[in-house]
Amino acid sequence: MKKGNKIISIFVLAGMILSAASALAGEIRIGITMRMVSENGQKYGQMVMDEIDLINQAGGINGNQIKATLMNDECKSDKGVANANKLIFQNKIHLLIGSTCSSVSLPIVDVTAKAEVPQIIPHSTNGKITQKGSAWVFRVPVSGRYYAGVNAKYVGENIGMKIAYICAADAASQNDCDAMQKQMRMQHGAEPVYVAQVQEKEVDFRTHMQKIKSAGVDGIMVAALAETMARALVQSYEAGIGPDVRRIGSSSASNAPVPKIAGDAVKGVFYAAAYSDADTRPVARLFNEMVRKRYGIHAPDHDFSQAYDLIRIVEIALNNAKVSLTSSSLKADRAAIRDAIAGIRNYQGLASGPISFCSDPSPVCRDGNKTPVLIAYTKGGEQYETEILARVTMPIDFGL
Amino acid sequence: MEFDFNSLFAFIIFGVTIGVVYGMVALGISLIYSGLDIVHFAHGEIYMFGAFFGLVLAKDMSIPYPAALIGAMILAGLMGMLIERVFYRRLTRSGGGYTVAGMGMIICGFGMSVALMNVAFLIWGADAEPFSIDLGMPLQIADIYIPQSYLLTAVVSFALMGLLHFFLKYTKIGLAVRAVAQNKDIAYLMGINVPVFISLIFGLACALAAAAGVLIGPMQSVQVEMGYLMLMKAFAAAVVGGFGSLPGALLGGILVGIFENLGAAYISPSHKDIYAFLLLILVLMIRPSGLFGIEAKVKA
Amino acid sequence: MIGFFTGVEAFFTGLSRIHRLLPWILAYLLLLPLPFLLKFGISEYYVDLANRACLFILLSVGLNIVKGFCGQVTVGHIGLYAIGAVTSALLAINYQLPFWVSAPIAILITGLAGIIVGLPSVRLEGAYLALATLGLGESVRIMIAVTPAFGSSTGIMMIPEPKIGEFIFNSFESYYYLVMTCAIIGIYLSFAILRSSTGRAFQAIREDAIAASVAGINVPFYKLLAFVISALYAGLAGALFAHMPPGYLHHNNFTIIEMVTLLLMVVLGGIGNIWGGVIGAIVVTVIYDQTKDYYFYQPLIFGIIMVVMVVFMPHGIGGVVKQAMIKRKFIENQEESRGSA
Repeated sequence: MKKGNKIISIFVLAGMILSAASALAGEIRIGITMRMVSENGQKYGQMVMDEIDLINQAGGINGNQIKATLMNDECKSDKGVANANKLIFQNKIHLLIGSTCSSVSLPIVDVTAKAEVPQIIPHSTNGKITQKGSAWVFRVPVSGRYYAGVNAKYVGENIGMKIAYICAADAASQNDCDAMQKQMRMQHGAEPVYVAQVQEKEVDFRTHMQKIKSAGVDGIMVAALAETMARALVQSYEAGIGPDVRRIGSSSASNAPVPKIAGDAVKGVFYAAAYSDADTRPVARLFNEMVRKRYGIHAPDHDFSQAYDLIRIVEIALNNAKVSLTSSSLKADRAAIRDAIAGIRNYQGLASGPISFCSDPSPVCRDGNKTPVLIAYTKGGEQYETEILARVTMPIDFGL
Repeated sequence: MEFDFNSLFAFIIFGVTIGVVYGMVALGISLIYSGLDIVHFAHGEIYMFGAFFGLVLAKDMSIPYPAALIGAMILAGLMGMLIERVFYRRLTRSGGGYTVAGMGMIICGFGMSVALMNVAFLIWGADAEPFSIDLGMPLQIADIYIPQSYLLTAVVSFALMGLLHFFLKYTKIGLAVRAVAQNKDIAYLMGINVPVFISLIFGLACALAAAAGVLIGPMQSVQVEMGYLMLMKAFAAAVVGGFGSLPGALLGGILVGIFENLGAAYISPSHKDIYAFLLLILVLMIRPSGLFGIEAKVKA
Repeated sequence: MIGFFTGVEAFFTGLSRIHRLLPWILAYLLLLPLPFLLKFGISEYYVDLANRACLFILLSVGLNIVKGFCGQVTVGHIGLYAIGAVTSALLAINYQLPFWVSAPIAILITGLAGIIVGLPSVRLEGAYLALATLGLGESVRIMIAVTPAFGSSTGIMMIPEPKIGEFIFNSFESYYYLVMTCAIIGIYLSFAILRSSTGRAFQAIREDAIAASVAGINVPFYKLLAFVISALYAGLAGALFAHMPPGYLHHNNFTIIEMVTLLLMVVLGGIGNIWGGVIGAIVVTVIYDQTKDYYFYQPLIFGIIMVVMVVFMPHGIGGVVKQAMIKRKFIENQEESRGSA
C-alpha cells in the first residue's frame, strides 16, 4: 500500500515534468482548440491535423517542422480558456487556431491579446470578436455583419417585406438574427412581422408556426444551429405553411445535418455562407473530391473550406515570417508570425472571395473574407445538392 | 395580436400531443418510484437509448415501424433490468428512501446518466439522426394541422397505459407487482420473489421510456442529448400527477404539455423550459402529493 | 502514506494546542510559495489550474455543509454559483463598483437566493428536494441564457479584475493569492461551523430530523441556515470566477454537467468530510486536466467512478483515510497500553 502510493505519485510527477519538457525549440508549435463534439467537428479537426502532417512531410516550413496540438473545448468558454492557457503557457505555442464557437472565441481573444500570441479563427462569425480591438486576432470566415446585408438585400428584392423570425439563443444565431432585422429595417424600412426567441435546443416549434401561419408572411427566417434549424424547417411544413413562403436560414444552414435531418423540407431554403459545394471553380472541385475521398462525407460545407483556407493562410504566413525558433525568441517569433499574417493580401482560395488582412487592430483589417455567397438548397437528404444564387463582395466597413 | 380561440385550441392540442409523451416517461419514473423507492435520474438516458434502438431496428435493419417499436421496448427493458441487477440492487439492499443511501441513489443516478450518455455518444456519435417514417398527410381540423405521428403517439401511449392498467389490476403477476410496491417485507412473506419483481418493474419502466423515444423520434429526430430535457419534463409530470400514481403521471404529462405550450404562446417562448420547472416547484411547495392525489404514494 | 497523514495530523493538533489559528497560519505560509514552485518547476499554466482548483474547493466545501453536515440533497448548487458570478459581474460593469464592493453584495444576494433554494427543504425531503433544487438551478441557467441583461448568448464580457490601488490582480500568481486565501478561510470557517453548536444542530438534523426537533432544535431554521451558508460559499466562488481573467461569463459554464462534476468531487472525497471535499476538488480538477486528450471517454470514466464510489466506497477517499488513521491510532493505543502493562 505504502510503496504503491509512492510509485503512483512518482509516475504522476514524471508525467507532469515530461509534458512540460515537450516545449522544445526548433519547431513551430501550433495549438488548436475546437468544438469536437459533432461528427463534422471531429472530421475537420482531423482535416486540419492531416493538412499540417502533409506540410511536414513535404519538408515543413523553411525546414522547420510544425508540431500541432489539438484540444476539444466542447463549445464551453471555461474549457476553451483553460485550453488556450494550457497551450500558451505550457505548450508554448507560436500560434493559436480557434475556436469554432463564438462564445469561446470571445474570451480567448482577451487571453491571446494579453499573452501576445497570434490567434486565427476558423469560423466564429460573431461581430464582437474583431471589435474588441485586439492586435493579435485574425478572422478567416465572413463576419456575421456581411451575411445579414446580403440576405436582406436579396429578401427585399425577391421575396417581400413581411418576414417572421425564429431565433435560437446561441451566440451565432442571435447575432445573425439581430443583424438581419437591423438590415431589413435599414435597407427597406421593414419591421419584423413576428419574432420568437427560442431556446438553443428547442424541439417543438408548432406554437410559433401556428402564429406565423395566421399572421400571413412572405418569408420565415430561421436562425439556429443546424439540428434545431432542421426541426423548425420540418415543422413549418407540418403546420401547413406552404412552399410559397420562403425559408431563410442563418449561416449554420450550410452544415450537413440540416439537409440530412430536414430532408425535403430543406428544398428552397437559402442562406448566406462562405462556400458552396456547387462552386464550379477547379480548385473547389478538387477540394470537394479530396474531402469526399478522405473523410467519406457527401460534400464539404463552409466549415471545411474555411478550415482548409486557414491552414493555407497559416502556411503562407509562416513561410514569410522570420522566426528563429529558439527558446529565448518565443516572444519575437510570435510577433513575427502575427505581422506575417497581417501582411496577407488577396489570398485566393476556396473562400467566396479574396482574403486580406492588415495590421490595424480593427474589424476593417481583421475580418478577412468580405464576400458572402447566397446559396439555396435544391435537394434534401444525405445526398443533398445546392446552387449559388449570388456572390457579393461587401464594402469593408459594412454593418459596423 | 388579438385573441383568437382557434389558436388557443391549437395550442392546447399541441400541448396534449407532446404531453402524452412526457406522461409515458413519467409513468416509468412513477413505476420505479413505487417499486424501488428511488427517483431514477438516468431515466432520460434510457429513453434516449430506446429511441436509438428503434432507429437502428427500423432503419439499419429495415424492420417495420411497429415491430421496431416493440423490439426497442424489449431491448430497453432488458437493458434496464441489467442496470438494476448490477448497480441499483446493491443500493436498494442498504435501504432506499431518505437515508444516506437515498442520497447515494440520486448521485448514482446522475453518474449513470453521464456514463450512459457517453456510451451512446461513442456508439452513435453526437449528430442528430433523422428518423423519418412516412405516415401520410397530416390530419386537418379547421386550420390546425396535426401530423399523423402525434396521433399515433397519443393512440399508442393510451393503449400502453390501458394495457399496463389491465396488467396491474387483473393479472396475478400484476397483483404481485402491486404487492411488492406496497410493502416488500410482507410481499416476501407471502412467497413473492421480490428481487425478480423489482427487476420486472424496472424493465417495464424502461420499456415505456423506450416506447416514448421511438414514438417521438420521427418528430424531433434522435440525438444523444435528447434525454436530459425529457427527464426534466417527465419529473415535472410525475410530480404534478402525484409521484407514484400511474394515471396521475399521464394526466400530469398532459398538464405540463399544455402549460408550457400556453406559456410559450402567450408569455415568452424563450422561457419555455422554465414553465415546467415552475409547475414542478409550485406543486412541490403547495401540494407535494400531486394535484390529483389519486393513489399517490407519498412517504415522509 | 497513512503514517504520514497521522504524523501531520499529530503535528497540527500539537500546534492548535498553542493557539487554534496557528496550524492554519502555518498551512497558509506553506502554500504561499506554491505558484513559484509550479511556475519554475512545471509551468505557469499550473498556477491557473491551482486557481481553478481553489474555486472548486470553495464550491465543494460549501456544498458539503448542506449535503454532508445537514443531510439535505441539493442539486441546485451550480445555480447559486451562477447567481454569485453574474451579480458581481453586472455590478462591476454597470455600476463600476470595485470587486471589494461588488463581491460582498453578490455574496449577500446569493445568500438570499440560498433561502429560496432552501425553502423547499422545509417541506420536502430526499428525492423531492433533489427535484425541486434541480428545477431551481436549471431555471437560473435558463434565465441567464435568455435574458440579454444577464449576458444571454454572447455572455458577459470584459469583467474588470479586482485591484487594490494600482495593483491589479490580473496575473495567474496574483490571482492565486486571492483565491487561495479565500479557500483557506473557507475551509477554516467550515471547520469552525462543524465544531459550533450550529454544526451540531446540522448533524442532529442529518441523523434524525424528528429527534432533533424533540431536542429543541428549530429544524426549518437550521435547514435554511445550512442552505444560506453554502450559498455564501457558492456566491464567493462565483464572484471570484467572474473576475478571474479573462473576465468572461457564459451560461454554458453552469450546466448540469458542471453540477455532476461538483457532485463527483464531493462523493469522491467523501460526503460530510471537509478534507475529503478539498481532496476531491483537487483530484478531479487535476485528473480532468491531465486526461484532456481522452475527452471522448471522460464522462464515461467519471460517471462510472461516481457509481462505483457510491456503491462500494460510500465514504469516499476521505472516509478511507480517516478509517485507516483511526485504525492505526487504535493499534498504537493497544501497543502503548500493552507496553505500559
